[in-house]
Amino acid sequence: MARPGARVADSKKINSELFTLTYGALVSQLLKDYENAEDVNRQLDRMGYNIGVRIIEDFLARTSTARCTDMRDTAEKIQSAFKMYLGVNPTVTSWSPASDEFSLLFDQNPMTEFVELPDSCLSLKYCNLFCGIIRGACEMVQLEVTSWFVQDSLKGDPTTELRVKFVKKLEDAMPAGED
Amino acid sequence: MTIHNLYMFDRHGVLMYYGEWNRKRQSGMTIEEEAKLMYGMLYSIKNFVNKMSPVDVREGFQCYRTSKYALNYFETPSGVKFVMNTDLHSQGVRELLQQINSQIYIEYCVKNPAYKSGETIQCELFKTKLDELVKQSPIFKS
Amino acid sequence: MSSLKLKTTILDRSISKGKNEVSLNGFALLFSEIVQYCQNRVSTVPELQAKLSEFGQQVGIRMLDLLIVREKNGKREIKLLQILIFIKSTVWKSLFGKEADKLEHANDDDHTYYLIEKESLVNRFISVPKDKGNLNCAAFSAGIIEGILNTSNFPAKVTAHWHKGTTYMIKFDESVIVRDKQLEGR
Repeated sequence: MARPGARVADSKKINSELFTLTYGALVSQLLKDYENAEDVNRQLDRMGYNIGVRIIEDFLARTSTARCTDMRDTAEKIQSAFKMYLGVNPTVTSWSPASDEFSLLFDQNPMTEFVELPDSCLSLKYCNLFCGIIRGACEMVQLEVTSWFVQDSLKGDPTTELRVKFVKKLEDAMPAGED
Repeated sequence: MTIHNLYMFDRHGVLMYYGEWNRKRQSGMTIEEEAKLMYGMLYSIKNFVNKMSPVDVREGFQCYRTSKYALNYFETPSGVKFVMNTDLHSQGVRELLQQINSQIYIEYCVKNPAYKSGETIQCELFKTKLDELVKQSPIFKS
Repeated sequence: MSSLKLKTTILDRSISKGKNEVSLNGFALLFSEIVQYCQNRVSTVPELQAKLSEFGQQVGIRMLDLLIVREKNGKREIKLLQILIFIKSTVWKSLFGKEADKLEHANDDDHTYYLIEKESLVNRFISVPKDKGNLNCAAFSAGIIEGILNTSNFPAKVTAHWHKGTTYMIKFDESVIVRDKQLEGR
C-alpha cells in the first residue's frame, strides 16, 4: 500500500560527469556516423523525442501531476523537470503576447561541461536533444509543441536560450475500427 | 478480498500486458478479443462520464461494480491505462495500480533499453516484480 | 566561417569538482537511447556490445584525465595492482557512487583479473537473461575500464559477464605482465 509521501522527488542521483561524458561520447559518435552537422542535429532531436516519450511517464508518476491547463502551467512543469533531471533551474521568460510561446534561459548546463566546439562544428546544435525531449514529452500529454535554440553559449552567445511554441492540442486515440 | 486480473493498454489502445491471478470464470474469447471489447467500453464510458458530468471533471471514470466484482480503472495523464478486476471488498486498488505504474512499469519497461513502446511486454523482470507486488498486496492476501 | 564573437574556452573555467549530480533516471533513459541507436546499426549482440564498449572507452579516457588531475595530483599509476585498485575505488566511486565490490586474480592465469560488482548501474533496469547469448549492457562499463587501462599504457581486453552479478574479465597483454615483474622490488 502506498505510504503517504512515499513518492519522494527523485532520490536516486548520480555524478553528473558520467552523464556529461556519456552524452559527449554520443555526440562525437554521431559526428563520425553522419559527418554532416545538420543530420546530427536531426538525429539528436529524434533521440530526444524517444527520451521525452519515456521520461514523461517517470515525471508524471513522481510528481502526481495532472495534464496542464495552459502554456504557463506547461512552462512551469518543464522548468521543474529540468530541475529534477539535470539539477538546473532555467529561467522562463520572453512570453509572446498570446502566451503561446516562451523561452528557457540556461545560465548553467551540465551537458556542456568540458565542451568546446571547434570551428568546423558551428552549425552543430550540441544540446538539440533538449528540443526533442520537450516535443516528445508534451506530445504524450496531448500537446503539440515545437522548440528550437535561439542562443547557444557554446557559440559565444551570452546565454543559452531555448524557445518553446504551442502548436495545437491533440485528441485521445480512438479504439481501433471505430473511427 | 481478491484480485482477479489485470489489463494494461498503451495510449493507442494496444494491449501491452495481461495477467491473471484468481480468475474464476473465462469469457470464452481470446485475450485479444477481450482487450478490444474492454478498450472500446473504456473509451465510450470515459467519454460518457465526462460529457454527462454535472460538475467539473477531475479524474473522470474510475470504477464500476456489479454484485460480484469491481472493475478498477487508472489512467496516467500520458494515456497509459490500467484495468484491474477485484472482488467487491477490495480497497486501495487505485493506489495499487499507481504503484504498478511507478514501481514496475516505469522501472522495468520505460527505463529498459530492451523494451520498445507499442510492443507487448515480454520482459521477465517486469513479470516477476509485478507478480511479487500483487501477491504482497493486502488486497491479494486476505 | 569563423565566429567573431569571443568564446570562453574550457581553460577559462576552473575544473569541475565532481560534486554535481543529475538524476539516475535521466541517465538511464539517455543510455537506453544509446543502446537502441547502436542496435539499429549492427546485426548481432557481440557487435552491439563492441559498440557499447567503444562508447565506454571514450568516457574512460576522459574520466582518467579528469581524475588524475583532480584526485591524484597529476600522478599516473604505473604498477598493475595500483591501477586496478584505482579503477575499483576512485573511478567507480566517482562514476557510480560506490566502489566495485571485489577484485580477484585468476588462479590459473596471471594475465587475467576479475573486477566484480553485484549490481551494475547500466543493467539495473534489464532482466538478467536466462541464456548467455543475450545482451549485457555492462559492456559499456567494461569499455570504461579498457579505455582507462589502454590510455595508461596497460594494454588489455576487458569483457563483461553475467557472473556473481556482473564480472569484468580483464586480460592484460603479455608486455604488461613482463614490465610489472621488472618493476617488482624497486
